[in-house]
Formats: sequence, structure tokens, C-alpha cells
Amino acid sequence: MTEPIKTDEMRHELLNLGGGAYALAVQILGNAEDAADAVHDALAAALGRPGIYDAQKGPVKPWFLRMVRNRSIDLLRRRRSTSDRVEELADAAPGPAEAAEAADDERILNLALAALESDQRQIIVLRDYMDLTYAEIAAVLDIAKGTVMSRLHRARIALRNAYREHDG
Amino acid sequence: MGKKLMVEEHVGELLSGFIDGELTQREQQRVRLHCEACEACNMELQELRSLRQRVGDARLSDVGQDLWRETMNDTTVRTTRGTGWLLFIGGLLVAVGFGVYELVSSDSSMSLVEKLVVGGVYGGLLLIFISVLRQRLIERKSDKYKDVEI
Repeated sequence: MTEPIKTDEMRHELLNLGGGAYALAVQILGNAEDAADAVHDALAAALGRPGIYDAQKGPVKPWFLRMVRNRSIDLLRRRRSTSDRVEELADAAPGPAEAAEAADDERILNLALAALESDQRQIIVLRDYMDLTYAEIAAVLDIAKGTVMSRLHRARIALRNAYREHDG
Repeated sequence: MGKKLMVEEHVGELLSGFIDGELTQREQQRVRLHCEACEACNMELQELRSLRQRVGDARLSDVGQDLWRETMNDTTVRTTRGTGWLLFIGGLLVAVGFGVYELVSSDSSMSLVEKLVVGGVYGGLLLIFISVLRQRLIERKSDKYKDVEI
């Protein structure tokens, strides 16, 4: 039987997830400000009412990321105006680079990511940026665990192709 | 012949499972042997590994946990949100009450036409506010994600 999680532990874990959750929200919304709102709302809901988390249904991480994803989709659905989404997403990469080459590499990566479908960006961020297992990814995206590998592979191939295109 | 057959049957998505350590021992062995014999898959494996590393090292998030910690612990944010709503609704009720009193009061210096015009403008604004509020409540009620969110 799973031990009920203590509120302090949950608080600590959720706050540690903030950065990754924000990256996921940016990939869905393509807008840094909306992404911050989505994560903030999810954190406020989770920390304000920790009783809504049921430890029997799985770990905190996928539960919270799913909440952030759903909030982001909800925001996107309301916003609808996505005409400049790709451009914003490419600019969503943060700040000054330590080295010009690294900055350029990161810019290309962001452009390549921006060229993918939203679902593809999400699965890449969950696995390659946040290091979630396939089981956790399945829980966040609400898909069968057996389909994670094929979706992820298609997304990686698409990212590689887009990367080549922008690198060339 | 055996080698040629192995090369022809590319391992495809198993490459991703291999990189992520999500394969069974048997599948891992299959991918390893295939990549030794198939240059195309071996190259793809290296490319995907390199790309995975790039994504992992990228700064996709410019906000760390400190920001969330500060924001969530910011009592000003929490209290001002609730107080803001309270003041807004309270102020609105007082304004509506005062307006209605002014319109029906016999002491008012306004003519009937002026009362109708002012009443129409404010009544319209109130109806728009109620309409937006109602729409938001319906959206919230029919939101398929509401069970997940809260």
C-alpha cells in the first residue's frame, strides 16, 4: 500500500518541478507569460488543496504535470489566436548565452522544436528535458504506455529533421 | 544472408527505447547487433543520442524553483487577489444601490429623460457584466478538465 504523502514533501516536490512544468507549458502555449500563469494556477490549486492528490493513483510528478498540461490546453483553447505562436516559441528560449556557439546551437534547437507539432514537443520535453520514464509520460499524456516509444521516436525523428533544416 | 536480413529489418522505434533504457534485455541485444551491422541505424542512433543530450542541456526554462517558491509564498499575492474581488463586488453593489436610489428618488434634480438615459447606460453595463459572468460560469461547469484541475 502506498504511504500517504506529507504536505511538506509534496510542497517541496512540486516547487522543484516548477521549472520543468514551465518548460512543458511553454511548449504547449508558445508564450512565456501564459505558461507562467498555467504553472502558477496549478501550483496554487495543488498547494492550496493538497487533499485532491490521491497517492493511490500514482506519484506526484506525473499527476502535477498532467494538471499543468490540462491547464495549458485549457488556456490555449480560450486564447485561440495562435498566429504568431511559432515565433514566440522560438523566442521563448531565455537570456544571454555564455558562448556564441552554444547560443546559436540553442537557438537552432528552439527553432526546430517550434517547427514540431505540440504533442511532439510535449513528449520530447517530458522525456529528454525532464527525464520522465515511459510509464510517467503515459500518465501525463493520458496515453497507453505501449504507444509512448513510437510517439517519442516519431517526435525525435521530426526534431532531427527540423534541426538539420535550420542548421543547414 | 543472415546479416543482410538483419540489416533490412531496421529497428526503428526500438532505437529510442534503447537510448532511454526502456527495452528488455532481448530487445537491447537485437538493437545492439543490428546497429553493429547496419550503418544507417547506427548513424541514426548516434544522431538521436546527440539530440537527446542537446535537449537535456538546453535551457528550456528560464525560471527556477526559487521563482515559484517566492511566488507561492508571497502572501501579498494571495491576500490581494481575494481582497481585490471582495472590494470589486462590494463597490459594484454600492454603486448599483446608489444609482437605483438616485433614479427613483424624488429629490433628484435629473429629468425623467436623463434618468432613462443614465439608467439605460448603467443597466446595459450591468447586463453585459452578468452575461460575461454567466458565460464564464458555464465554461467552468462544462470544462472537461475541471476534475483534474481542482
